[in-house]
Amino acid sequence: MSSYTSSVSQPLLRSQLAQRRQRRLLWGTLRYAAIVVVLFIFLAPFLWMLLSSFKTQVDITNAQNIFNFTPTLENYQNVFQQYDFLRYLLNSFAVAALSTLFSLILGLPAAYAIARYRMQWLGVVLLTARIVPGITFLIPWFIIFSRLRLTGTLTPLILSHMLVGMPFIAWIMISFYEELPLELEEAAKIDGATPIGAFLRVALPLSMPGVITAGIVAFIFSWNNFMFSLVLADDQTRTLPIAIFNFLTYASVDWGGLMAAAVVITLPVLIITLFVQRYIIRGLTAGATKG
Amino acid sequence: MNFLNRHIRATFVAPALVFVIAMMIVPIIYTTYLSFHAWNGSARRAPEYLGLDNYTRLLTRDPRFGDAVARTFIFTGIAVGAELTLGLGIALLINGKFMGHNIVKTLILLPMVATPVAIGMAWLLLYEPNIGALNALLRGLGLPPQDFLGSASLALFWLAVVDIWQWTPLMALILLAGLTALPEEPYEAARVDGASGWQRFMHLTLPLLFPTMIAAVLLRSIDALKTFDIIYTMTRGGPGFATETINTYGYIQSFEYFQLGQASSLLIVFFTLILAVSLFFVRIRRRWGAAL
Amino acid sequence: MKNAPFLKAISLTLAIAFAFAALLPAAPTTAQDNPLTAGVSDKFAGTELRLIFANHPWNNTIQRLIPAFEQASGMSLRIESYFEDQLSQKLQVGLTSGTSTADAFMFRPLQEGRLFAKNGWLFDVKEFAAADADWNWNDFQEAARGTVTFEDMIFGVPIVTERQVLYYRKDLFAAKGLSAPTTLEELEAAAAALNDPANGIAGIVMRGQRAAAVTQFSSFLYSFGGDWVKDGVSALDSPEARAAYEYYGRLLREYGPQGTTNMSWPQAVAILQQGKAAMWIDADSLFLNATDPTRSSVAAEIGFAPFPAGPAGSQPYNITSWALGINELSENHEAAWEFVKWATSAPVVAELQKSGNPGPRISVWESADGLAGFPEEYAEVAKLQSTRGVGYDRPRVIGVGRARDIVGAPIVTAIEGGNLEAALKEAHDQFNAFLKEDN
Repeated sequence: MSSYTSSVSQPLLRSQLAQRRQRRLLWGTLRYAAIVVVLFIFLAPFLWMLLSSFKTQVDITNAQNIFNFTPTLENYQNVFQQYDFLRYLLNSFAVAALSTLFSLILGLPAAYAIARYRMQWLGVVLLTARIVPGITFLIPWFIIFSRLRLTGTLTPLILSHMLVGMPFIAWIMISFYEELPLELEEAAKIDGATPIGAFLRVALPLSMPGVITAGIVAFIFSWNNFMFSLVLADDQTRTLPIAIFNFLTYASVDWGGLMAAAVVITLPVLIITLFVQRYIIRGLTAGATKG
Repeated sequence: MNFLNRHIRATFVAPALVFVIAMMIVPIIYTTYLSFHAWNGSARRAPEYLGLDNYTRLLTRDPRFGDAVARTFIFTGIAVGAELTLGLGIALLINGKFMGHNIVKTLILLPMVATPVAIGMAWLLLYEPNIGALNALLRGLGLPPQDFLGSASLALFWLAVVDIWQWTPLMALILLAGLTALPEEPYEAARVDGASGWQRFMHLTLPLLFPTMIAAVLLRSIDALKTFDIIYTMTRGGPGFATETINTYGYIQSFEYFQLGQASSLLIVFFTLILAVSLFFVRIRRRWGAAL
Repeated sequence: MKNAPFLKAISLTLAIAFAFAALLPAAPTTAQDNPLTAGVSDKFAGTELRLIFANHPWNNTIQRLIPAFEQASGMSLRIESYFEDQLSQKLQVGLTSGTSTADAFMFRPLQEGRLFAKNGWLFDVKEFAAADADWNWNDFQEAARGTVTFEDMIFGVPIVTERQVLYYRKDLFAAKGLSAPTTLEELEAAAAALNDPANGIAGIVMRGQRAAAVTQFSSFLYSFGGDWVKDGVSALDSPEARAAYEYYGRLLREYGPQGTTNMSWPQAVAILQQGKAAMWIDADSLFLNATDPTRSSVAAEIGFAPFPAGPAGSQPYNITSWALGINELSENHEAAWEFVKWATSAPVVAELQKSGNPGPRISVWESADGLAGFPEEYAEVAKLQSTRGVGYDRPRVIGVGRARDIVGAPIVTAIEGGNLEAALKEAHDQFNAFLKEDN
């Protein structure tokens, strides 16, 4: 700045500064306006869904009256009373929680071994699981699970969702364990810890942020899974996405009920996201930025 | 316990490996086996060996397959292309400090974590030609209302719009992380040389960001090629076959027609295509000197 | 172990369900005085039957009657319900792998019948049917009996029949001084006269989704003198078929609401319910969707008319849309038959028909009660149409799903106003290739 002052006369400088400030203000305002527009575009469908879930069928079909209506909870009552959504909610929760838990149990040691013992080949195998279209497995799965008489239980759902969750968890955790200083584990080993002990008591606690990240994202993947559950779930073990899909195809289109059901299924994920957004951003973008 | 500790590699790796073999490798082998056979799934009729028939028919005599492949790539091209452009714009927009930075980053996360089936339902209502909000908006602006998913020529595009809506935030966040990690020095040098903002963007930001962009495009392309939930719930491949992709056609062949052999050959081709696309991007990235 | 919390939830739900079941008003009448369960034997008391049903009005009504059957027979029934496409898939998955634990199930004889029978999944009830003279197999309509007979076996018992009818808005017709169309020419003229997009009213709404539309298109095809198959090969290249596709497409393109190419019946009837269409042509078994005031804002204005006549006369389908089948793999064939026999007995069919489920029994159609469940105008139409028509509404093949996708594709092209000639040529070739392999 000082280099300018010497060569330019006072009044000119002042007007230039004012101009620059104005321009900056204009840019700032424009930027905020753009951000608001972007946010609106990404949030509007959710707001529309929420709004419609409180409307009667008549209010929904009346496109002229978007905001002028009397809110009703009827749609939510229907969803839970007529269509047994509570059971599907429990199913979804059980499948997501258990598949994530087992994915962690299998995936964490594997990731640790890949990082510590340089077992790249296993990393490639796990990456393949991320790439292969899930539908490739569905025919064999459905034949095998039914031969084993496992259909009608949650087991096929949990196992199939694990094939999404486990490689994902391992993939994220490999880089975590690679960054973990080796000295701590070696110190523990000198103190007499076994390799398993060193993993459980030193590496695992230190990698907790990563574990939480990976776990949350794996939980969301399972919660949202549609295709595997569509084939492998039956009447008793239906998860929420399948229940909603059924709802869509059953009877004439009840938009209010559909939107209420959509809110019921989205809300838990959105709430989790709001609380742990930092972990989720890291989890979802990990594949690309670290890869 | 001692035994386990002595074979520590096996101990750590075995459970995951056994799981992957049972749930992935065995099924792929079985699908490959079925792809050379005709089978409707009946336990009474054993699969009948056909050799390469399923493949030749798929590639030469099944117009639905060729169309589905083309649509899959068109869908992916539109979706990922738009996501990259818009994502870059948004990343530049929210790069740097401003009030509410974290809130914005959290809120744009929501589309990509929301359940695709629910997203599909919400957009189905938005797109509804008679009562949907988008046509109400168009009418309000004095523009002609659209058929949206009812239009055979544009339905695939409107489905891609949903994908773009859902996944542009991911692209933006990945690129934002890339932008934050860019080195400061070249920019300072450029400023001293008097480069304009546009020049800095073209000659510094874009090349420096390129490896991240390729990685993001790879990640998104793999998923976009496999898109199923939104397409199946919103149009089931219709109107006619206008939005049928490889994945939905494979599903219909498997679980609606129960042509398990024919479907298996389709799935193997699909699998190979995706693998080829992945390797293609990895190659590009390697050439640019980034280690994957 | 993994399922423990889930099982707990189920048993709790079941306990509550049983508690409610005990309180139902059906309980007070004992088995003997209830005419509905008069012939039910308690030979199989203690057996648990597993049934798989479709989400269909028939299912809703029979569930109301089932407690009485459980009481009379001493059996307990466990029922799972699915939407029809998923039901088909579920059955096929279970039957394919030989693991289905269902004893009996609802299925669509025209959709899955031949496939299931051919794969040996359906238990032949011929002997049972012949043995029970009181139950009277001959009381079933001939067409209905034909639909469930394949290569000399009876693979199911018809439960729901349906015919195609024209639903129309009496108020809109009266306002224009029109009467219900009796020919396809009049139908088009009426659609043109009543089409009023400026006020959001379409002249007509029908299904346009490629596979779903096939059954509703079939009556148009027959009434133009066409058919799916002639002498074992595709008849889609006939001028009659072409005219029918052309007509159906034009009707929806010119006078239909927006977005018809994604409509199956739920979407189509929604348009009618909202008062946004003057006519709807679909199955009569769906009439409650149009005439139930809790679902339809125009319930009071709905009139019924027989399917209009085309160049080849009025040839609507008249089909058995649902049947009950017994799983060949079930260990309870006789107990399952006891249920099937009861659910298809004359008094139960009469009761079901009174609640708006058109059934297969001649005696019920002829009784006064048989028509009591239908709106007056519909009763006339139904009675007229129940005696005539074509016994199938889709190609009679084994791989029906695939066939419907093939013959349905030109419907969509016709609605869009695309190149119908090319679409039909392509469908014709595909259909012929399909017919060659379909065995």
